[in-house]
Amino acid sequence: MSKFGVELEVHIASLRRYARALLRNRTDAEDLVQEALTRAVARADTFKAGTNLRAWLFTILHNVHVNQVRSKAARPDEVDVDSVESKLVTPARQEERVELREMMRALDELPEEQRKVLLLVALEGLKYEEVAEMLGVPIGTVMSRLSRAREAVRAKLANEGSVTLRRVK
Amino acid sequence: MNAQRVTDDELHAYVDGQLNPDRRLIVERWLADDPEAALRAEDYRAQAALLHELFDPVLRESASDPVHELTEKLRGRVAGNDNVPAWYAKPWVRMAAAVMLVVAGAGGGWMGRGAVGTSPAVQQRQTLQTFAEEATQAHRFYTSDERFQVELNADNQDELNSWLSKRVGRDVFGPNLEKVGFRLIGGRSLPTDLGAGAQYMYVNDANKRVTLFVGAPQAGNPAKFGFTQNGDVATIYWVEGTLAYALAGRLAKEELLGIAEAVFNDVKAGPPRRDPPPQQQNPQQPPGDQQHPPEQQQNGVQPISDTQKPKDS
Repeated sequence: MSKFGVELEVHIASLRRYARALLRNRTDAEDLVQEALTRAVARADTFKAGTNLRAWLFTILHNVHVNQVRSKAARPDEVDVDSVESKLVTPARQEERVELREMMRALDELPEEQRKVLLLVALEGLKYEEVAEMLGVPIGTVMSRLSRAREAVRAKLANEGSVTLRRVK
Repeated sequence: MNAQRVTDDELHAYVDGQLNPDRRLIVERWLADDPEAALRAEDYRAQAALLHELFDPVLRESASDPVHELTEKLRGRVAGNDNVPAWYAKPWVRMAAAVMLVVAGAGGGWMGRGAVGTSPAVQQRQTLQTFAEEATQAHRFYTSDERFQVELNADNQDELNSWLSKRVGRDVFGPNLEKVGFRLIGGRSLPTDLGAGAQYMYVNDANKRVTLFVGAPQAGNPAKFGFTQNGDVATIYWVEGTLAYALAGRLAKEELLGIAEAVFNDVKAGPPRRDPPPQQQNPQQPPGDQQHPPEQQQNGVQPISDTQKPKDS
């Protein structure tokens, strides 16, 4: 496998993780990645060698997601019944830890625009500029969403006392 | 360009590893004086760690078949395909990929580096700093999940040492750090740009872990200690003789320095009394597979399911 191949593999793993964290459902997440990659293949010639492959892929994924949300909103009666069942990503044993459960809940309670920014920055390690470009918003907006997301999660976790626990460890 | 007030944005950038270096010291000084802000930074980091704990398992799951197929297709279509087989063509590539990803969120930015203009030639120009980066990533990755922390435990240290020596192609051993309260729990071999490296993991009574990463650099810079801080993981690295060492832990610099000193002294004193097996130095060993086929080197615990895609290489 080439160096490029590895890089691609890394970014796709990253897309899959992000999609899962965003949608919290294995099937939906894989579908989203699949559709994004289909589009990426179709527009492969728009990618310029030596530019930011990761940002290119994430932007495609974001656009596909926005479209999916839009078309779902147009057909509100289509509710995914088994979405609940596969909600938990991690093995039950791990999920039992209070702080993980609380983090999950806090994430759920964030408005989607904040959740996206938090995941892209804190989980995927994207640069603020990349996030701004991907979402099509000014960098100041990225920063304020990030800040609000982190404070909201923080308040939530502090309530449960779990962050304190963690700190002691 | 100095002690202006630190902004909220800068605090985030500090946590995310996106702060420019000349502001970093200023932010750190401010954090030292402002416990409330320091707490915030710590909480933000804890959040990132929790997110990784929750979602990194996805990296160990194999992708759906269509996603595999599309990845292959894309590989052939997108510009920049260099087709260099090299050492990347190894099964551990996926593991290395996961290491990079795990670190990307909490440490920030390292992945971005790979995105622009890294020719294979550049990639191979291994510096001590990259070595330290790899050590930091490996630390973060293997301390994140206790199930995968070591490949071989330290019940039999001779066995551990000679196995890892074989991997690295030099005589290596896990130094005794009991003087500073750390006990060796085991080790694993890991890919680096230079071929295999050895990671030894230690734990103390407070359940804090440090890892010592040992590798064989192409050209040894003389013993000079370097220090990096990536997110909450601090790393001290140096070269001694023909080996490079990087000690990583979620500890304050001073504390880590004390442990590094113990490592340094114990390494100087030499391996524990045992006769190294009659296995000669083999510095220019091709990375990857020695006498073990790649499958075998994955024995036992493996962080990434290698069911993911067996068809490469």
